Amino acid sequence: MKQFISFVIKEGKHILRDKRTMLILFGMPLVLMLIFGFAITTDVKNVRTVVVTSSMDHLTQQAVDRLAASEYFTITQLVATPRDAERIIRSQKADMAIVFGPDFASKRSGVQLIVDGADPNMAQQWTNYATAVMLNADGGVVNTRMLYNPQMKSAYNFVPAIMGMLLMLVCAMMTSISIVREKEKGTMEVLLVSPVKPLMIIVAKAIPYLVLAFAILIIILLMARFVLGVPLVGSLFWIIAVSVIYILLALALGLLISNVAKTQLVALLLSAMVLLVPIVMLSGMLFPVESMPRVLQWISAVIPPRYYIEAMRKLMIMGVGIKEVAREVLILTGMLVLLMTLALAKFNKRLE
Amino acid sequence: MTLKYLIQKEFTQIRRNAFLPKLIVVFPIMIMCVMPWVMNMEVKNIKVTVVDNDRSTLSQQLVHSIEASNYFIFKGQQPTYRAAMQEIEKSRADVVMVIPQNYSRDVTLGNQPQVLIAANAVNGTKGAMGGAYLTQIVTAHVNPDVTALQSRVSTLFLYNKNLNFKLFMIPALFAIVMMLMTGFLPALNIVGEKEAGTIEQINVTPVSKWSFILAKLIPYWIIALFVITVCLLLAWAVYGITSVGPLALIYLLVLLLALFWSSFGLMISNYSDTMQQAIFVMWFFVVMMLLLSGLFTPTRSMPSWAYATTYVNPMSYFIEAVRTVFIRGGGISSIWHQLLALLGIGSVMATWAVLSYKKNS
Amino acid sequence: MNAIEVNNVSKSYGAVKALDGVSFSVGRGEVFGLIGPDGAGKTSMYRILCTLLLPDAGKITVDGYDTVRQMTDIRRRVGYMPGKFSLYEDLTVEENLQFFATLFGTTVEEGYDSIKAIYGQIERFKDRRAGALSGGMKQKLALSCALVHSPSVLFLDEPTTGVDPVSRKEFWEMLGDLKERNITIVASTPYLDEVRRCERVAFLEQGRIRGIGTPEEILTRFADIFNPPGIEHAQGGEVKDENVIEVEHLVKAFGSFRAVDDISFTVKRGEIFGFLGANGAGKTTAMHMLTGLNQPTSGTGRVVGYDIRTEHEQIKKHIGYMSQRFSLYEDLTVAENIRLFAGIYGMDDKEIARKTDELLARLRFADHKDTLVASLPLGWKQKLAFSVSIFHEPGVVFLDEPTGGVDPATRRQFWELIYGAAGRGITVFVTTHYMDEAEYCDRISIMVDGKIKAMGTPEELKRKYNQPDMDHVFTYLARQATRSSD
Repeated sequence: MKQFISFVIKEGKHILRDKRTMLILFGMPLVLMLIFGFAITTDVKNVRTVVVTSSMDHLTQQAVDRLAASEYFTITQLVATPRDAERIIRSQKADMAIVFGPDFASKRSGVQLIVDGADPNMAQQWTNYATAVMLNADGGVVNTRMLYNPQMKSAYNFVPAIMGMLLMLVCAMMTSISIVREKEKGTMEVLLVSPVKPLMIIVAKAIPYLVLAFAILIIILLMARFVLGVPLVGSLFWIIAVSVIYILLALALGLLISNVAKTQLVALLLSAMVLLVPIVMLSGMLFPVESMPRVLQWISAVIPPRYYIEAMRKLMIMGVGIKEVAREVLILTGMLVLLMTLALAKFNKRLE
Repeated sequence: MTLKYLIQKEFTQIRRNAFLPKLIVVFPIMIMCVMPWVMNMEVKNIKVTVVDNDRSTLSQQLVHSIEASNYFIFKGQQPTYRAAMQEIEKSRADVVMVIPQNYSRDVTLGNQPQVLIAANAVNGTKGAMGGAYLTQIVTAHVNPDVTALQSRVSTLFLYNKNLNFKLFMIPALFAIVMMLMTGFLPALNIVGEKEAGTIEQINVTPVSKWSFILAKLIPYWIIALFVITVCLLLAWAVYGITSVGPLALIYLLVLLLALFWSSFGLMISNYSDTMQQAIFVMWFFVVMMLLLSGLFTPTRSMPSWAYATTYVNPMSYFIEAVRTVFIRGGGISSIWHQLLALLGIGSVMATWAVLSYKKNS
Repeated sequence: MNAIEVNNVSKSYGAVKALDGVSFSVGRGEVFGLIGPDGAGKTSMYRILCTLLLPDAGKITVDGYDTVRQMTDIRRRVGYMPGKFSLYEDLTVEENLQFFATLFGTTVEEGYDSIKAIYGQIERFKDRRAGALSGGMKQKLALSCALVHSPSVLFLDEPTTGVDPVSRKEFWEMLGDLKERNITIVASTPYLDEVRRCERVAFLEQGRIRGIGTPEEILTRFADIFNPPGIEHAQGGEVKDENVIEVEHLVKAFGSFRAVDDISFTVKRGEIFGFLGANGAGKTTAMHMLTGLNQPTSGTGRVVGYDIRTEHEQIKKHIGYMSQRFSLYEDLTVAENIRLFAGIYGMDDKEIARKTDELLARLRFADHKDTLVASLPLGWKQKLAFSVSIFHEPGVVFLDEPTGGVDPATRRQFWELIYGAAGRGITVFVTTHYMDEAEYCDRISIMVDGKIKAMGTPEELKRKYNQPDMDHVFTYLARQATRSSD
């Protein structure tokens, strides 16, 4: 037991002494939360608009004023021909042009929106907003209610995703690197020959990273609640319980990587290739899984963070009971058992 | 003159590495073949469930028009709002539409019936888009005049007529590939020599700082040119997408971006003691620059403090310029200020990379 | 019953046979030497003995337990210090020791007596991080960590490489104490004086046991390897009365610690100057200042006529350097390494090609022109590194422990190269822990605790301190200093 404790302390010192890595580990969640919470939005705002009209009649003026008054559009220029407008859009001085027909007032000809279609999502939204503003059509018949996220903040969607990414990276990447570093430096030989059981070496190595993962989890939850104003409506107990399963799963993955990798560099690259890229790309963190082609959806089905992020979105933001996420939790538990068994079975008690 | 020997050495080392040559070839191919399919933020397959409290011919018509729309996946009807909410909680539905009791009567009398649309907005974009489309269908159903009014507005989408998301993302992928290939590899380079001890041998030779660092930068520029060629060919072969603007400008932009990333990587490497540290620090900056670059979300929607960071973010300049050239067919006159900014930031970083390398302490 | 029985053990890595039918036995309480050149298979043997590797064939018992089946029992009983013993660089000296003590189920206090002789020397640095120690001091700490517990069998893979003579003596005295407690020791070493302190030795070469016997038997039987004829100081290299290195009152301080504390000396053109000192005495730091890697805190120095403070880039054009850490590019071939460094010193392609062929012919290396440096034996790497460092015919060449870890025959070949260089007028500035090599130098300085304690020709020093050889001179001076610093 004393050996075990001194092992854990030693491992803790390794982490605490590497100031730069520590700074990154704790700086990362802070910065990510701030960026996702405040900086990144897909709101329609400050769309630079050019008005194309040959004769500014009363009705045109009214439509233009309405556009200028809205927070969405900024009228930057008035030009005479659509060709001029196109040139301005091409040189990135404007995003959209509104072409009023010469006799717009007489209601015979219409309005044409010339939109920079490079970004399809935004192009469509700009069109929708511009049409709505100009026609001043408040549907009136529809009463829309945005459930769980009435202000439609992107933070609600991203907080669980950040948790999924950071916990995986801290646990899997850091654990695997720290084991491989001992192999590379040669200290692993001494540790293995010592009377300490090999399994205990691994458990002792994992504990400080577990603590670190918890610290990061708490930081994220606190920031989400008090800085970003994301309500944690679900049961805190289950949020933490599911996170524990996930953290253990990440540790098992880290252990597996450390079995395969011989040098720190390989461990780093493997973690980046096997963990980081799929997590960011295929877990549904940034890009919705259901829009992907079938084959990629299958691949995404074996990526653990996908289920964790989904479960967290439901538990934390929607506040559903544990019953509603039973499927995700079961899959995660199944993966955990599988990976842990594999990792322990493959763990090398000798050098080869 | 010594530059030649130093560059030769860097190339030999890259070639001898068991991993790097494969990485340099396979990685861009993988990214170009997989990512355009993944990086698709189109909102599709929204699942709708309906609670029809009216059960009239008109309300059934409305339900049918939703069923018929190929934008939605119709998930059937639920007897009560509460039952429908459970569908949302179980993720079997994204949007619920509740048709009020007197819908049919209100519509015929010309009153405004109040249809309730409740969307799961955890993913804000999805909720908003689903809500908006559903609103359109309902409005058209209740009030056919609005449809007529809408038809007076026509829309012309420039450059990307079919609103193809791949076209939007592919030039941005160039930025990601460049960042990973010419940023991370140099970050591991000098710190690797430190760990191997060979840097000490170099430090006692008369080689100048500039030629030593330059010799480490140039191979990555050549790699950048190779990689971008692979990317452009794949974009053409796999997706049939080619640059509208001049290719020379794309290459110029890529070189300038490579100048920045390779210098930045070496600078980080100079300050790091271990590879792990170098990677972590690199990763931190990469994530920040990428998220704030306008690759995923428009920079102009950001609050002003975040928008201010794009003035020093080379990724933001590159992505804006490369999209202008590649998608919009812009020429040098459209992107000259981005070119200047990239050149400026790149040169500052290269100087920093040289100055941070200490031959003598 | 014997403590260790090794029966017909073989081990291959792919096509390479590391061990081929090795058999020997070690009695309880015996000090057994396992010697042989680099790459002979010693490390594989140790790893198999420690249950870290499985043998392909053969049977081994350690303390009566089978290495294949009874792994746990063996690991509870043995101690092992790998050749590449590495400490936790981010932990302090004391924390390292404490960790290893706890790991082996003991405490520093309990084990203190058995490591006092060596740990005492580094104890004053106990709050310093292990990464900040000099090479030799790290080795001493590693020794302390390996010996802090008392196992029943102890395996030591070249434990004293890079350790100064005095500490090596103390280390072997400690092993003597352990033997008295009936602990079995298997050790390997490139030092002859250490080989002589074993009771029996096995000579391993290319994976096979070539002979087992008393040290004297083995050393005589393989005299061509262990006891090559001494070299005559080749004449022709005339020492001119012209100072190539002049140093006055040089100081380098790290905070309050003065690593180099006011040294002054001169070296003349064509001289072979031996720069000796115990581990941590400040040799490497001094050398770093002379080669322009480090700025002095105070004092002046000139190397090949240039000021070390302001003209270090000029100096670098006219010197060669071979560092303690082997420093050619392992992933380049022999010819590519030569080409790179020659290119850096401004030679053109034609000249490089001609001189490369000349050099490789001289070293009888032509067949290995396109071999990766990583796959060469250590002795060859050292010879190659030296040849590269003087390829551009510098005025002075600095060699920092150039011959660590190789057998006497290989070291002798290395010194032939040094004499060759000196013969061509290259001044040689060399540090070493081999006292037989010290005798080969024209002039010697001995550094203790950052100061130069003695300087002169080997003959003068022996006479002055009234000692039979350099080993005794060194021990005499170093011991004296340790006492005075306490």
